[in-house]
Amino acid sequence: MAKSVLLISRHAPWAGASAAEALDIALAAGAFDLPLSILFMDDGVLQLLAQQQPQSLAQKDLSANLQALPMFGIERLYVAQHCLAQRGLAESSLALAVDCLDDQHIQQLIRQHDYVVTL
Amino acid sequence: MTTLHILNASPMQTTQLNSCLRVLSAGDSVVLCGEAVQALRADSAAAEQLLSCDRAFQLYALEEDVHARAIAIDHMQVTLLDYPAFVALCVDCARVNSWT
Repeated sequence: MAKSVLLISRHAPWAGASAAEALDIALAAGAFDLPLSILFMDDGVLQLLAQQQPQSLAQKDLSANLQALPMFGIERLYVAQHCLAQRGLAESSLALAVDCLDDQHIQQLIRQHDYVVTL
Repeated sequence: MTTLHILNASPMQTTQLNSCLRVLSAGDSVVLCGEAVQALRADSAAAEQLLSCDRAFQLYALEEDVHARAIAIDHMQVTLLDYPAFVALCVDCARVNSWT
């Protein structure tokens, strides 16, 4: 049985390569049928906002990659509730269907996976 | 089935420590290395946060990073590690979460 991976994405989409690299890992894992979950945390939650305009910074649009996750079999997507609240964001404003978790459920989520990769 | 959390950035400049303290489970271990050892500095906001945190976890720090920064640790319950001990700790824990 393949080992499970929890990917924790903590960086904003336009602040360096971390967000894009985390998505690349997720899509690669999906292509090889590895059981992978993603938790968006800290500024990583900003990746989920709708109607961003990366072309104004001459950057690649990550939203297509995000929308592709379920097609690659990555369906366990989570967001840290307190990180949304800290940034004044509502779950309803997100462009992707994700489960909103409180701290206790994030603790459980980490314990349920064999490996944790934080980017 | 404990997790080892490795923090490497200053608690004044990033949310690593804050976020880690929120999501660690009882019995987990935390290793401070690099600029993260600044959290041990007496009377700093981060040290107060570590002291007042009620969750049961083991706190470690890389010895050479602590000494290099002239940080006194008498007031903290922290175990200093050299690199072999750090490696042994990584092997002992079920999973490693290296915060970046």
